[in-house]
Amino acid sequence: MSNKMKNRNTILKSVSKPGRYSGGEYNQILKDKNKIKARWAFCFPDSYEIGMSNLGIRILYGALNQEEDIWCERVYMPWLDMLEKMKKHHLPLTAHESKDPLADFDIVGFTLQYEMSYTNVLAMLKLAGMPILSKDRGDEFPIIIGGGPCAYNAEPIADFFDCFSIGEGEEMLVEFTKLYIQMKESGNYSKKAFLHEAARTIKGLYVPSFYEVSYHDDGTVKEYRPIYDDIPTKITKRIMKDMDASYFPEKVVMPYIETVHDRIMLEVYRGCIRGCRFCQAGMVYRPVREKSPEVLNRQAKCLFESTGYDEISLSSLSISDYTKLPELTDQLLAWTDENMVSLSLPSLRVDSFTKELMDKVASVRSASLTFAPEAGTQRLRDVINKNVLEEDLLRAVNVAFESGKTQVKLYFMMGLPTETEEDLEGIVLLAKKVLDAFYKNPKRNKARAPQVTISVACFVPKPFTPFQWEAQDTAESFVKKQEFIGSKINDRKIRYLFHDPGTSRIEAVLARGDRKLSRALAIAAEEGFVFDAWDECFHYDKWLSVFEKAEIDPAFYANRAFGKDEILPWDIIDCGVDKSFFLRESQKAYQEKTTPNCREMCSACGANKLGGERSCCPKAKN
Amino acid sequence: MLSESKELKSCYTKKDRPLLAEPIGVRVRFRKVGDLQFISHLDLQRTMHRILSRAGIPVWYTKGFNPHIKLVFSTPLSIGMQSECEMLDIRIEREISCEEIKELLNREVTEEMKILDVYVPDTKFSDYVWSEYDIELGCGGLSAQTADQMNALASRPTWMATKTTKTGEKEFDMIPLIRVFHAAYCEESKTVKIHTVLNVSSDNYLNPTILLDALCKECQIDCENEDDFWMTIVRVGAFREDGVTPFR
Repeated sequence: MSNKMKNRNTILKSVSKPGRYSGGEYNQILKDKNKIKARWAFCFPDSYEIGMSNLGIRILYGALNQEEDIWCERVYMPWLDMLEKMKKHHLPLTAHESKDPLADFDIVGFTLQYEMSYTNVLAMLKLAGMPILSKDRGDEFPIIIGGGPCAYNAEPIADFFDCFSIGEGEEMLVEFTKLYIQMKESGNYSKKAFLHEAARTIKGLYVPSFYEVSYHDDGTVKEYRPIYDDIPTKITKRIMKDMDASYFPEKVVMPYIETVHDRIMLEVYRGCIRGCRFCQAGMVYRPVREKSPEVLNRQAKCLFESTGYDEISLSSLSISDYTKLPELTDQLLAWTDENMVSLSLPSLRVDSFTKELMDKVASVRSASLTFAPEAGTQRLRDVINKNVLEEDLLRAVNVAFESGKTQVKLYFMMGLPTETEEDLEGIVLLAKKVLDAFYKNPKRNKARAPQVTISVACFVPKPFTPFQWEAQDTAESFVKKQEFIGSKINDRKIRYLFHDPGTSRIEAVLARGDRKLSRALAIAAEEGFVFDAWDECFHYDKWLSVFEKAEIDPAFYANRAFGKDEILPWDIIDCGVDKSFFLRESQKAYQEKTTPNCREMCSACGANKLGGERSCCPKAKN
Repeated sequence: MLSESKELKSCYTKKDRPLLAEPIGVRVRFRKVGDLQFISHLDLQRTMHRILSRAGIPVWYTKGFNPHIKLVFSTPLSIGMQSECEMLDIRIEREISCEEIKELLNREVTEEMKILDVYVPDTKFSDYVWSEYDIELGCGGLSAQTADQMNALASRPTWMATKTTKTGEKEFDMIPLIRVFHAAYCEESKTVKIHTVLNVSSDNYLNPTILLDALCKECQIDCENEDDFWMTIVRVGAFREDGVTPFR
């Protein structure tokens, strides 16, 4: 062991949870770097505990490492205390497996799961000793690529990245890396030539610097103009057509320390049939593509064999919409029970929550159940196309109460389009009805007092949703609404939680931003912003001052209703769903009309043009 | 895609083993070195649970509403300390040889957590009184005098220190809890190497870091200097009350 490593150990002994940095996990992938043609550093711009819980990284880490020539390692954002030590001792950011600095790598990838992690992305580049702007990084630096949900509108961070992978990365990232190896071996590699070749030949790859953006005087986008005529004018997202045949890891790296989702995550299907109008995930992951129960059962067994986890979480956007759920749970329960493995369902809709289902899942053990009605009145639930009735909710909570549960958690949003005071008061009334249901239920657990938690988030308009044009409420209006709801609660059995409107506003700015925002983010990086997704690190006032310095009006992005005929910053991306569908859905929202789910009727969103096996789309091209 | 032919071990092999009339206790001796030194005792417990589970060891589960594996560890190790002789007692409810347990477990751990031995114990953890440690420390300015000074300090008649317990700060004498202490300066590595045997019984546990902190303080070694100072502590042996008979 070198003295440097010994001193690293001295530092690790002085920080909280050193297991975050030590590495050495079972199932981590180690390769001989002399036999490798491309080294990947896969970065999660948040703490180890959160990054290790991400299913996407688990899949892509395995998919890249399946290739003999490629070694993919993991990188996480060091927590505040470690960050300070690294700066003090001039330690560069290193990859988890080899402990080599990021600058030694060929490709550095960032998964972009939420907008508030952008400051961590920039902090990680700086910790790695790399210039944050793409144009300042020459051929000697690694290629920096981004992907994940936020890449659908990557414009605010476009200046920092060399390229983005749009959509599902299992195949694309391998193709991308193989092209890189090929061009390196041919001896005529330059960053620009490689990116050009990638943009030209790899579907779903977006190189922002190859598109010049011009703006109108009012600040809205005038045009996106490709600088080469052999690259696509619009980048269409990639999908895995056949989920049964898609790569899924049989092994996962086993964290020693406790992580957020420390269990087997079995991805049951991609996409969502529902079409809630505020939900980006429900739109950008279309079309729905299911896996067969047989494949899932086999994958679950393999994962149990390789991990020893005692819980399997059936993961998807709305698990009860899986057409083969009874078959799957039966197959799983045939071996899970005797091996002391329990099942959990993280995403339950109230209209499908039944006694039979509840008996099969582990959430039975915990005292509380969570549902998301999202809005307080039927009218507003129709506006957002939540398609959940009050009866459904009350039936679901009665199932829960009859099985001995006394706590229910309900998720809502405030600031939704067309919202009135009646809708806000409806949130409290709904909570009261749930409490009443408890006391009216003769089979309730009489030994304990009930508790209904209402958690009210602030609506953030997101790209690629029918609400993408909506103005967000101002922070002041959110605060007033929060106080209004609080004033209507007169029962101590109702627990009221709400979000910080400041965070939601900055999130809205970054979500709907254009390239001008890179200026603000560069200043934020300069001023040392980190962990903005964490309340204790987020400072609204500092963000406002950053925008002021960058001469950017946050209201232009957050609180302005975007014009329906405006070119949106994210129009350069084709997520599969047509803009005309979002427009139709937006109009129907104002008419308070719901849209049937994809299984009842096809509403012609356009995503079926991407194809897909075991999808519920008509005319899906395969 | 998964290969159809892959044989699944634990789900099937576990229940093929005949049930024992009574569950029997088995002791697992393992190492916890390298990166594992940063894993807390609680994290180690959870990790062991998963290792036993994926290895398909037919462990006995507690009966009741929330069945779980019963794990009993010998003296826990502080974060930052390594060990070549950690011990864990489990209970087995189906027929399986100790050799097989060792082999199955070793497929499921890294070298840093290698299983060294599995056997049916004839001792209780309360008989485990002394631990043997190999310690090495490095920083600028060490010399043979440092080692001499440390040896002199450890052979004083009494040496009071404080430790934090559940009931608050407690004053205690370290000397009776030190059975063996020998420090030597190594010219080649420019480090001080210490061989020591310290009490680990639950009432009189002397954490080696308390002793080392006290030694460093007296010898004016700055162990807060992260650019210069480093130390490794490895537990290498276990003894019964007489301090001579190995505990196993």
